[in-house]
Amino acid sequence: MKQGLEKKKLKENFSKEILKFFKKRKFNFTDLDLLIDTNLLTERSGEQFKKSALTYKDLLGKEISLRPDLTVSTALKYIQKKKIKEEKYCYYGAAYRLDKKGDLNVFDQLGCEIINPSNSNSSLLLIDSILEPIKKIKKLEIIVGDIGLFKILIDGLDLPERWKLRLVRHFSRREYFIDLLKRLETNYDLDQETIDVDTKRLQDLIKIDQSKIIGGRTVAEIIKRFQKKLKDPRDDYKGKLNVKIIKNYLKIKLPLQKAEKTIIAFFNKNKLPTKNIKNYLKKIILINKKIGKKYSISFKTDFGRNAEYYTGIVFLAYAKKKGKVVELARGGEYSNLLKTLGYKKDIPALGGAINLNQLINL
Amino acid sequence: MNKIKIGLPSKGRLRDDSINFFQSKNLKVVNTFGDRNYFFNIEKNNEVEGIFLHAREIIERINDGTLDMGISGLDLLKELPEVYSKNVKTFQKLDFGFANLVVAVPKDWLDVQNMADLEEVSFDFREKYARRMRVATKYPNLTESFFLSKGVSQFRVVPSLGATESYPFTGSAELITDITSTGSTLKANNLRIINDGSILKSSACVFVSKKFLKNKFLRNFK
Repeated sequence: MKQGLEKKKLKENFSKEILKFFKKRKFNFTDLDLLIDTNLLTERSGEQFKKSALTYKDLLGKEISLRPDLTVSTALKYIQKKKIKEEKYCYYGAAYRLDKKGDLNVFDQLGCEIINPSNSNSSLLLIDSILEPIKKIKKLEIIVGDIGLFKILIDGLDLPERWKLRLVRHFSRREYFIDLLKRLETNYDLDQETIDVDTKRLQDLIKIDQSKIIGGRTVAEIIKRFQKKLKDPRDDYKGKLNVKIIKNYLKIKLPLQKAEKTIIAFFNKNKLPTKNIKNYLKKIILINKKIGKKYSISFKTDFGRNAEYYTGIVFLAYAKKKGKVVELARGGEYSNLLKTLGYKKDIPALGGAINLNQLINL
Repeated sequence: MNKIKIGLPSKGRLRDDSINFFQSKNLKVVNTFGDRNYFFNIEKNNEVEGIFLHAREIIERINDGTLDMGISGLDLLKELPEVYSKNVKTFQKLDFGFANLVVAVPKDWLDVQNMADLEEVSFDFREKYARRMRVATKYPNLTESFFLSKGVSQFRVVPSLGATESYPFTGSAELITDITSTGSTLKANNLRIINDGSILKSSACVFVSKKFLKNKFLRNFK
């Protein structure tokens, strides 16, 4: 195990070299803010994320947090600078996160982000830029997944709309997702007794001012959703069959070279529409074509579910040391993040980071 | 010899029920220094030193070792960070001080019957109003854990100090979680409890410090 000064020196050397490489690839170095308005973190990821951040209250009662994540800081920079076109950033800095015991962990990261990319090759560029500095590591393994592909699968299933949304939204929350699948299998959804009582109350609501606000929602909004819910099919969709398809899909794990063929075959076998899928898989095909031979890359449909904000391709680079997995780099596409942080609309974005602490210990 | 330090709730029905409970165990609480004094003794028992405190304070003092045991609400312990449960042990659940922590929404939210509905509505709400739904509560930690376990992630907690039932109608929050025993206060304030929105069933409990668990005095309560 390397100690104090040796570690520091190694970190400095690695960071210099890697940043130089990022800059060569036209990523602009940016200094990121150390503190983040806690409200922004809560708006982005909810109370759960706030728990992992070290938070202070200033004298006026405003909460600020040490950045738990550098992607959020980069996205905030883009918004603060009022950018509208593609920006390619690179950074070096620490993320600060509390673990379950309340102890502070510091993660030194070197990363790059592309916000609002101007061409379709950006995923390839980003993944390649993150992997290149660590390519010499022995037995480097890469896993690629795609959250967007899961959404296409769900869209193709014969399910009520609200169930589709629910499954996609909670894909990243494994425990709850399993719970959802169990409910879907048993068709548990509506409580008929309460529905009967509420249908009577509906008549009263229809007569009052539809723009009236009740608990932050308009009467019209409440009625619309209630009626939509009643109309949504309950018993006639094939819950068990759909769950079987989802479970089988999530078992797919294979070399990236075989991903396109296998996914299309899976969709065909389950009689799911393949119209969108062929176009969507272009990114995966490109990554395979350009760097598939350079690295050992596997494709896992179940991968990338640990961060709520990923929306498309996700990746992880790791090596094994004494039988244990050492995560060296990870990243992915996050197209909904900027709007949640205050940008006027959803824009595509993607990023990845190298875990410097792990890298120097290899 | 160090005296046994006991804390009992200082106010209301919880205080009366706690004193009655002690009496039922042949431990008569006496205010030697007068009714308004916070200190008490146990009749014919010199080994005890008692103090009336706020129910929340009792748990804090057991945790820091100032008290050996006391009576307080299970809800109050569960709301505190997990680290408290290492020092503060639930010795006995009592048959008074019942209260349920529940999720309640405006009664006219006809489309919200269960937590799954709330999960959907919270996403719609965020989409439409570009902010998360606010949940007013005196129990932020329990609320947060429960909501997340039910898949409701699009919310933020608004801490409430009282009159929580009014929040959805003053624009300070969209829904609430609150303690109720019969549900009548919620109903009177045009709120209804969500079907599967029971967060915690609470009652008064005898809490003891970890160090005190094997003390012979606790035999009085068996």
